[in-house]
Amino acid sequence: MKIAIPHSLLYYYYFPLWDTFFKELGFEVVDTGPTTKDILDKGSKAAVSDICAPIKIFTGHVIEGLKVADYVFVPRFARIKKPEYFCPKFMGLPDIIEGTVEESKGRVISPIINEKNNENISSPKIYEMLTEMFGFSYREIRLAIKRAEEVFERFKKLMHSGLSCDKALDSYRTGRWEEDLRRVKKDGDVTIAVLGYVYDVYDSFISMDVIKKLENLGVNIKTFEMVPQEVAYDNLKHYRKRLFWTFSNRVLGAGLHYLKDPEVDGVIHVTAFGCGPDAIVGRFLQYESDVAGKPFTTLRVDEHTGEGHMITRIEAFVDMLKRKKWAKLSEVL
Amino acid sequence: MKVSFPYMGSAIVYKKLFEFLEHEVVMPPKPTQRTMDLGVKYSPEFACIPLKMVMGTYLEAIEKGAKVLVTSGGHGPCRAGFYGDTHRNILKSLGYDDVELIIFDAPQDNWRAFFRNVQKIRNGVPWHKVINRMYTLYRFVQKLDELEKMVQKIRPYEVNKGQTTQVWNQIHEKFDKVKTRKQLYEVYEECKQMLLSIPTRKVDEKDRIRVGIVGEIYVVMESSINFGIEEILGNLGVEVERSLYLFEWINDNLVPWILRPKRFKEIIKKGQRYIKILIGGHAVETVGHIIDFKERGFDGIVHLMPFACLPELVTQSLIPKISKEIDIPILSLPIDEQTGKANMLTRIEAFIDLLKNRKRGKTREIFIDNIQEDVQEERVVMV
Ligand code: SF4
Ligand code: SF4
Repeated sequence: MKIAIPHSLLYYYYFPLWDTFFKELGFEVVDTGPTTKDILDKGSKAAVSDICAPIKIFTGHVIEGLKVADYVFVPRFARIKKPEYFCPKFMGLPDIIEGTVEESKGRVISPIINEKNNENISSPKIYEMLTEMFGFSYREIRLAIKRAEEVFERFKKLMHSGLSCDKALDSYRTGRWEEDLRRVKKDGDVTIAVLGYVYDVYDSFISMDVIKKLENLGVNIKTFEMVPQEVAYDNLKHYRKRLFWTFSNRVLGAGLHYLKDPEVDGVIHVTAFGCGPDAIVGRFLQYESDVAGKPFTTLRVDEHTGEGHMITRIEAFVDMLKRKKWAKLSEVL
Repeated sequence: MKVSFPYMGSAIVYKKLFEFLEHEVVMPPKPTQRTMDLGVKYSPEFACIPLKMVMGTYLEAIEKGAKVLVTSGGHGPCRAGFYGDTHRNILKSLGYDDVELIIFDAPQDNWRAFFRNVQKIRNGVPWHKVINRMYTLYRFVQKLDELEKMVQKIRPYEVNKGQTTQVWNQIHEKFDKVKTRKQLYEVYEECKQMLLSIPTRKVDEKDRIRVGIVGEIYVVMESSINFGIEEILGNLGVEVERSLYLFEWINDNLVPWILRPKRFKEIIKKGQRYIKILIGGHAVETVGHIIDFKERGFDGIVHLMPFACLPELVTQSLIPKISKEIDIPILSLPIDEQTGKANMLTRIEAFIDLLKNRKRGKTREIFIDNIQEDVQEERVVMV
């Protein structure tokens, strides 16, 4: 049996877990691959026109996946931390797909992820629905998810030690965990915290590979995945009320953490056009950066953003940071 | 304390509330283009339109002398929960340090803060009086809603154009003067007679067109932002009913879960046929009401949503499917500060024409053909 895992949204964070899990159960896992123009176009056509780019892209991946696999995996993320939730579009994701992709009928596997506090989303209960659908025993599910959780823990460790999500994914794919752990080194001229949801930052189509472009400019990158959950939340303590959305809080919390980090010279917020939660997250980040006195810029991208324009902007930003740093250094000397 | 509040729907209800608590009330002006401009100017660009409109309303109320603004916080996974905080920040940055914004979050989120707020707005009125007057207010809302439902059924058939709206305005004036429960019932009877004496055309049951209005609460309830859609439809000879009335909203949201009317739970259950879990905002209710309107024999649905509203985008994604499966035409209208009235009118008129044709037994195919064009050129979902 073939199951497609759309290479989009929380794929970037959870793929090692789901991949291991389904393989352990004997599925053949199909990864729909990086986003292409074709996938985006298909998704945009099927989806409602005003919806954010990430959902359009996800829809495209689902259409693609259904062509090559029997089933497609569309988890319904409701909550992984009390009392927060996910963006309403995540909570209604399988409904959106059923509404817009006709051929998905009866071929969507969508467990409800509704956990009080388990970022690892590895409670067998979540996946119990597979027993009914495919006749696995509960024990089989439990063992498979346990194995998946171990892999995910290693994956997270890699990120916390300084690998960004996409590089950690590479390590997972190649199996070279140990070497990669040793390879975490930093020798760029300036350090930038690139903040944003994994599906914005690592989707080469949405962010136009901003990370790679920055690295080529000699920039060290820090991202929110490198900040352990507890640390991120610790930084949010002084807010009267936390945001409702888990990953928005993590992005904001990590942002606050990096603003205090003397190594970090500037902050870039990567956001997709039409993102509701980011209207708020972005404003907070901007405000806090001003207070901390660190340069801040927003990269708002959508399916029409020109690449040339973006490169000019990040180059200007990096130049400014370098100049600032030199000025400071020469002062000290 | 000079108290004011956001303007939404029958705002005299909120006015009554604060009058009953013996505050000096600054009635916020009904939102206009100026309100919108002010709101847009001072709100974050990507905030939803209700946030911007309420921002504008606050600024106008402050101009009129308001010193305290009272609002609800909202909870659940949507942005509404941050309206209050965002507004407060903006007011501060505009230098209104002497204006207090009281935000009522759901009591279960923070009991202590809730009661502190209650104490503040109770204004020293003895509890027995508070309870008595709140009960009067509860009935006040109920009676006003009943009359509004009558208005929506009479307007399409009135002989003298505009008369119903005129009477409805008079009803508001009369209700505004109500102080006691006894007065309330008297005024209610009087107003009912006023409505019943409006001359109407006789229209055959099979020729009546009924449209249900569903969607996000602010754009559904506040006529100044939805261009007075109920009046527009009424004038086109269409009976309307909204998914939301203040009285029902109070019952659904402020009355404890076990005491809530069964109807609310039924609507949620119907909605869950398409959206399996509650996802914030009014998405599940929106779907539930679409199904409910269909079951009650309505001819079409108008779905109102703030542009890029998170939960309503989920609903919108499902509309073609729902429309097809339960066989009811749905017009989905996203609203933002750029939405023009003329444009909206054209779409509504086209939609009503389609409903009429369909009712007269023309085939569904014609209907779909007409719609395809709209879908291609507009960001409207019409099925
Ligand atoms: S968080 Fe933003 S980008 Fe992500 S699905 Fe929600 S609206 Fe879209
Ligand atoms: S329900 Fe829609 S309009 Fe209301 S806060 Fe959420 S996104 Fe904004």
